[in-house]
Amino acid sequence: MTARLRPALIAAAIAMVVGEIAIFYVPRPPPPPVFAALTITTGAAFLAAGIAARDRWPGNRVGLLFTITGYLWLLTWLDHLPNSLAFTYGNLSWTWYQAPLVHLALAWPGGRLRTRFERGVVITEYAWIVVSNVAALMFWNPAFSGCDATCPANLLLVDSSRPVYDAINAVAAAVSIAMTVTVLTLVIRHWRAARGWSRRAMLPLVWISFAVASFLAVQTVTSNLNLPVSQVLLSDIAPLILLAGPALVVISTLLSRSARGAVGTAIIDLAPGATPGRLRDALAQALGDSTLQLAFRSTDGAGYRDTDGRRVDPARPEPGRTMTPLTEAGDAVLVHDQGLEQEPQLVRLTASAASMALEHARLQAAVQAQLEQVRASRARIVEASDAERRRLERDLHDGAQQRLVTLSLALGMAREHAADADPALQALIESARKEAREALLELRELGRGIHPAVLTETGLPGAIQALAERSPVSITITEVPPRRFPAAIEATAYFVVSEALANVAKHARADAADVTIRELPGRLVVQVADDGAGGARAEGGSGLRGLADRVASVGGVLRLDSPPGCGTRLEADIPCT
Amino acid sequence: MKPEAAILVVDDHDGFRVFARKMLEAAGFTVAEAATGAQATEAVRAVRPGLVLLDIQLPDCDGFEVARQLAAQGNSPVVVLTSTRDASDYGGLIAASPAAGFLPKDQLSGAALLNFLAGSPP
Repeated sequence: MTARLRPALIAAAIAMVVGEIAIFYVPRPPPPPVFAALTITTGAAFLAAGIAARDRWPGNRVGLLFTITGYLWLLTWLDHLPNSLAFTYGNLSWTWYQAPLVHLALAWPGGRLRTRFERGVVITEYAWIVVSNVAALMFWNPAFSGCDATCPANLLLVDSSRPVYDAINAVAAAVSIAMTVTVLTLVIRHWRAARGWSRRAMLPLVWISFAVASFLAVQTVTSNLNLPVSQVLLSDIAPLILLAGPALVVISTLLSRSARGAVGTAIIDLAPGATPGRLRDALAQALGDSTLQLAFRSTDGAGYRDTDGRRVDPARPEPGRTMTPLTEAGDAVLVHDQGLEQEPQLVRLTASAASMALEHARLQAAVQAQLEQVRASRARIVEASDAERRRLERDLHDGAQQRLVTLSLALGMAREHAADADPALQALIESARKEAREALLELRELGRGIHPAVLTETGLPGAIQALAERSPVSITITEVPPRRFPAAIEATAYFVVSEALANVAKHARADAADVTIRELPGRLVVQVADDGAGGARAEGGSGLRGLADRVASVGGVLRLDSPPGCGTRLEADIPCT
Repeated sequence: MKPEAAILVVDDHDGFRVFARKMLEAAGFTVAEAATGAQATEAVRAVRPGLVLLDIQLPDCDGFEVARQLAAQGNSPVVVLTSTRDASDYGGLIAASPAAGFLPKDQLSGAALLNFLAGSPP
């Protein structure tokens, strides 16, 4: 609605209502207050609904139809004016408002008539209601309706004939009833054919159509056939039913607001990182549209597939359905009932909510993927570090250690050759040999700390036994799996035992310790338990922290149980295949 | 005691073999050399040494495996495992091996090998 049209419509509606009051109260004795109030309220409600509908659905004809109905309803009471032209018009147009009402029922909610047949029905209704009233008025003497000589004249009167007038009205009543049945049937068909949001929007109209049609049928039949029905009930109270028409706009607005709230609640209730399938289900439930589809562009770029894997073509949606993109790139789309386009705010909210939920899920997946990358990267770093340590130990063994061995042997031979030489020279050679041996011992210790060769060559049984043999504390090896494991797993298990036994020797004040490496389905559990003083803390030294990092690098967990006075148990749970 | 048996030195480090040969020949042994496990098996058949000084870490297989192969042949020589590493670096593998014992490389001497030949390792 343009900015200037809206105030003009409001001003016109107010003027119409004020004019209606003037019509009722200025010229002649006023009608009963209840009648006047209901008549004016009904007309004003249609005018207000027309403005509200134009506000909510710009470009939709239902607003115009509400407005026309309101004006036609109010103008028909011009017959209260003491003027023949106004009197004639009022009596001529007293049922004209029914034509836009029929039009409205068949065009709801999109504002357009769906088939050629329906256009024919509406045109027939407009034409018949004018023609039949003109025909009836040509033979209607106001005295037939109890008007006395003070009534203005019927300007269309050709021949005052009660039988002709009654015959025309009888035909009009039959046609009106046929039209009412036709419209009701079409409305029910619309509702049954509708899916998703359209079906939801159609439901109130079905009930309202029944009520309004019943009222119109009763009014037409009783007035045309002069049946003895209370005029107060028929003309004064019954028009209240017409208020159900404007109520459609209110109900529709409430439905939309309720759906917006439901979409918001659905997104809030959705578990973080929910799958697209769960998101679709939540939105479908919130919108009451079980046919809602959430589709994504295929990774190969060839078309879209919905959350059930069905192919979707957003460029050619099925009849009655339309597509709303969720991202600027159009990678994800909502395929929904076309009727939802009547609620652009709801569509925008749904699309935004879905987009946010998908973005949330995407970010969570990205964080998860990055976490996996970091985990894999950490595992690779540890593996590379292990490989480098193995290489260093091997280089020490093959290089410096071999040379020192050779040097030591050479010095031994030199000492023998120098048996008859200067004692000072002999002492010097012996000293050099001793230094060489010391250096060799230190290199052995260094190499052992860098990486245990026995682990590389024989696996855990030999390596753990070597650790036990070198420990100053009495060590019992309860169980060690004989088979080989991946190098990273063996190294991790070895370093857990090595660090634990080093701590037992240094800090535990223990007499004995027990080492168990048990293979369980999918994991290796390493336990070192001592009978020492306990009281060890995981955060107490960098050794255990580093060990926990090391265990975590292969996806494992390190646990420390060390109550004061009750020994210490270090356990590593390492996943393995 | 004059050594009569030949010694087969099995080691992939040329420098060690050279010094071992010099030392053992100086001690009166006849010395043959092999650089790999496969060569060692061949040399035992050809030379029939009284003692094999067998490095644990060989390029083609480890000394434990070679010791097992030699023991399986029957009428095998005395096998003494050796390494620049310490015996404790090998856990219980040395004890489980059919070898007569272990001698760290830096403690190699003719006297030590004679002890092994006499059946009384140091």
